[in-house]
Amino acid sequence: MTLSLRSFMRHEAVLGILLVLVLFVLAQQSDKFFTTANILNQGRLMTEIGLIALPMTFVIITGGIDLSVGSILGLCAILLGVFWQNLGLPLPAAMALAVCVGALAGLVNGLIITRFKVPPLIATLATLALYRGLAEGISQARSVRGYPEWFFVLGQGEVLGVPTQLWILIVFAIGAAAILGLTTFGRATYAVGANETAARFSGINVDRTKLLIYTASGLVSGIAAVIFVSRVSTTRSDMGTGVELDVITAVVLGGTSIFGGRGTIIGTVVGLILVQALKNGLALSGVKGDGTIVVIGVVLIFAILASNLFSRNGDG
Amino acid sequence: MTATPATSSETPPPLVELRNTSKTFGGIKVLKNVGFDVRPGEVHALLGENGAGKSTLIKILSGFHTPDEGGEIRVNGRPVSFSSPRDARKAGIATVYQELLLFPDMTVAENIFIGHAPRAGMGALDWNEMRRRARALLDDLDSHDLDVDARVGGLSVANRQRVEIAKALSQDARLLIMDEPTASLADADVRRLLDVVRRLRERGVAIIYISHRMPEIFALADRVTVLRDGSLIGTKDIEEVDDASLVSMMVGRSIDQLFPKVVVPIGAPVLELRKVSFKDEVQDISLTLRAGEILGIAGLVGSGRTELALTIFGITPATSGEILLNGRPVTIRSPQQARDLGIAYVPEDRGLQGLVKPQTIRENVSMALLDRISKGSIVDRVKESALARDAIARFGIRARGPEQRAGQLSGGNQQKVVLAKWVSTNPRVLIMDEPTRGIDVGAKSEIHALMCKLAGEGLAVIMISSELPEVLGMSDRIMVMNGGRMVRTFDRSEATPDVVGAAMTHAGASHAGGAA
Amino acid sequence: MSVETATVRRSASTGFAARTFATYGQEFIILACIVVLFVAVGLIAPRFISPTNLTTIFVGNAYIAVAAIGMSMVIISGHIDVSVGSLIGVLATISGTLAVSGYPVWFAWLAPVIVGMVVTSFIGVLVAYVRIPSIVVTLGMLSILKGGLISVTGGAWITNLPPDYLIAQFRLFGIPSPVWFMIALTALAAMFMRYTAFGRSIYAIGGNGEAARVAGIPVERTTVTIFAIHGLFAGIAAVLFATQLQVIQSTVPPNLELTVITASVVGGVSILGGTGTVVGSTLAAILFAAIGSSLIFLNVSAYWLRAVQGLLILATVLADMARRHRIG
Repeated sequence: MTLSLRSFMRHEAVLGILLVLVLFVLAQQSDKFFTTANILNQGRLMTEIGLIALPMTFVIITGGIDLSVGSILGLCAILLGVFWQNLGLPLPAAMALAVCVGALAGLVNGLIITRFKVPPLIATLATLALYRGLAEGISQARSVRGYPEWFFVLGQGEVLGVPTQLWILIVFAIGAAAILGLTTFGRATYAVGANETAARFSGINVDRTKLLIYTASGLVSGIAAVIFVSRVSTTRSDMGTGVELDVITAVVLGGTSIFGGRGTIIGTVVGLILVQALKNGLALSGVKGDGTIVVIGVVLIFAILASNLFSRNGDG
Repeated sequence: MTATPATSSETPPPLVELRNTSKTFGGIKVLKNVGFDVRPGEVHALLGENGAGKSTLIKILSGFHTPDEGGEIRVNGRPVSFSSPRDARKAGIATVYQELLLFPDMTVAENIFIGHAPRAGMGALDWNEMRRRARALLDDLDSHDLDVDARVGGLSVANRQRVEIAKALSQDARLLIMDEPTASLADADVRRLLDVVRRLRERGVAIIYISHRMPEIFALADRVTVLRDGSLIGTKDIEEVDDASLVSMMVGRSIDQLFPKVVVPIGAPVLELRKVSFKDEVQDISLTLRAGEILGIAGLVGSGRTELALTIFGITPATSGEILLNGRPVTIRSPQQARDLGIAYVPEDRGLQGLVKPQTIRENVSMALLDRISKGSIVDRVKESALARDAIARFGIRARGPEQRAGQLSGGNQQKVVLAKWVSTNPRVLIMDEPTRGIDVGAKSEIHALMCKLAGEGLAVIMISSELPEVLGMSDRIMVMNGGRMVRTFDRSEATPDVVGAAMTHAGASHAGGAA
Repeated sequence: MSVETATVRRSASTGFAARTFATYGQEFIILACIVVLFVAVGLIAPRFISPTNLTTIFVGNAYIAVAAIGMSMVIISGHIDVSVGSLIGVLATISGTLAVSGYPVWFAWLAPVIVGMVVTSFIGVLVAYVRIPSIVVTLGMLSILKGGLISVTGGAWITNLPPDYLIAQFRLFGIPSPVWFMIALTALAAMFMRYTAFGRSIYAIGGNGEAARVAGIPVERTTVTIFAIHGLFAGIAAVLFATQLQVIQSTVPPNLELTVITASVVGGVSILGGTGTVVGSTLAAILFAAIGSSLIFLNVSAYWLRAVQGLLILATVLADMARRHRIG
């Protein structure tokens, strides 16, 4: 692990320098940037992407990818509304059911990938269209509103002065980091990504590992959907469109190799914060919303470029 | 072919010559002032342990590496410099690599002519001409059965190698470099390959032949060059040397006993198979394996040897029959179950199936028993490191420490890591598939000694090998397989190369007849 | 061993027809699907195969087929471009802006093609020489192009396009020009892929990069060229897209990159590189356009359109995997 750790440190160093640089420049641009209120609010805004980025880190470490997370988010959001309003279920039950549907959608991805040996990119490309299509079909372009007040605690409330969902993100991130770094399951994840055949020949249950990871990806997307709905007080079928790209950007920016076998949760979290700081700081400095996307694209390319150059020097 | 015919009476001038060639990687000199030449129409064997500098030397000849200042390559007496493999090819030097460089999704014909396909009008590729010329080349190599339209990905190793050789010949190669061409071939295919090499030699093609197998070298080579630790030890005519002198040149010491077989008391039956089958690849295999016993499985590639191992290990679970462990019937549907029952499998393809190369020795060694060194699924790093350090000491793995990446080790040490991984699980049955393929003489005998030691500790061992001397030297009993069936078993005392070889090939002939 | 002997023997006697089917198996299957679809839906709703509807289907989707040609080459060489949708959006906007700003029409057609090639060549350089995985580069490029486009134009509509600029509305022998473009470019690209050394080297790089290098193929240069060609097709696709209506919205067509990639992959291009043909990707683009249109004629609610499309993509992919496993 030292070597992969060393290359991770190298990437983390690049990211760290970038982050400090970005924070410094942005703080110069606007005095609102370094206020507690702003920072906490940013935490609120990045929770959904942050949550989904955690299982996505696992997915990418196994050498896979999950493009369907944004569609799962949309589908779960719609179903939450439908279960509650149209089927008249109690809201907590509707929430649980929506999350279950997310897990089911992830499980379907996993089954297509493990049972039919469809490459993950293709499998989740197909389910991206399918799940979004289901969301559109079920919602018929109707949105659901009028959720009870207590429901907004999740997305708009605070616990001990910190946004509720940020606590959830922190707990999940610590959990994910522990699973990936300390447990046999984490080991299996790395082994599957670095050499799937050797992992299978070592008695690691490769299919079960992948199945669990894709299911978790769907499940967490479902949780993110509930938080999303609670944050914006409404459901629409186009919710979460394009989220997959933001999530993958954060994960890859965080040093997880798109070829699998390498990556950490800490890296993902740093990548996530960098992306959010950029978005927010630029917005505060007067850059329009879409201009910030440009910067994120540039940062993604340059961060990978820089760490590539560094690691090449290191390898001699 | 434009090669000049060989003259046997006088020494022809060298076709290709390396003078005073060195190569340094990151400050380490891996090739030290080596002089080497090869003449038209000769087979020049190149020998040395892994890491001796053979690969570096042929990579310089084939244009992958440029030699350090002061060295010189001459072709037909004229100094040349290669800046890419393409330059070397233009000079008539072609290489058939150990890991075959082919395109699995392309046809045989296209693979042969990739990069220099025949053209029709307006520079368009002429597919019919390509197929016709590919056919002619393969016929030349006596490979009439190989279809030029077949997808290369579906071919056997032996056939792919023929495609590689045809590819080299299609470029009018005057020097053909063959890097361990027989490492993964069965005996019948080896004989066919040797015929091809002889045929090429008759046509005046010069051949550099790298192999770890002595009999081939004595059967083929005109001259032999030995490298050790990057230095030239000597170039000799084949008549001047014998087995023992070559080995001592290679290792710098004499190995008096190649197979250190220790006879140990054989215990109770551990593994029993009763009419075990997997589809038509493994058919009705019954055998009994006892504690302390080494059972050798011989057979041609594709005879069902590896398939049998994969069935016992649960990769391809048995479709019928019964498996008993310590007298109790068991079902094995997955490698996990096999492992938990105490069956270990050191696989055939080390790089693909055995090791996770980017991971450390520690992570590789603990991979099969993570559950046992973890508390509530949290891996105990202290125990894990201790395990890895133990393995390094016990198996004599030459490494910087448990945190070195497995991919950086030499072939022999990688094999020891895989072996350590499985022995750490305390198995009752150890299956070793081609345990010493592609590793050098020194590491080979270390692996053999370890195998005997493990058997002595009461482990039941199944060893699959393509090398007949290894099977004969190491096994207590030998089982010969063909066409997925067990055709004969021999006791150690009655097994001679002749009878075992005959059992392998005789059955092969009748099988081929049956298929036709 | 016996299995292989059998294969060799069987294929030793393969004739031209069998060889063709082996190469174009996936293409024949898609063609059959298209025929079945047109016949079946045509019987239920005859207006589906009316010239008006066929024109709508082809004119509205030919640009996807054209973009999928370049995408197929990129995927065959073992890479991917997820930014192609944004690129087409940017190029279409450039083209339209030039057309309404009084530049000559030929310039408004040519400029996006050149800009497209410059952008994708840049991607190619990052992929080939700097060795950043193509999915990462194009993910970043997607953000840059999409964000850049919207922040510059604000998603405004470009109107008052000069009539002689609208090349996608031209007709030759009564058939709309996008159809000609689609057919001609597909045929050209197919011949290019099959009968030129460069075309074969695309397959070689995707099939086994190391072996391609040893065979003397300049892998880096070829990769950049493949991306440049992809940019060429993206540029042409952008012009066809920009000129099909009287107005252009300067945004990124939603999910266009996924539609293009899906057409390539369903057309038989292996995402792992090394196999596939551009004929397949064009047929797949037609099939998807026809499916979309047929759903309307079969009175399926427009809201369910995407779900049905997704299901069909999934079915095609699964069928393809099953077929491959049988062969392999």
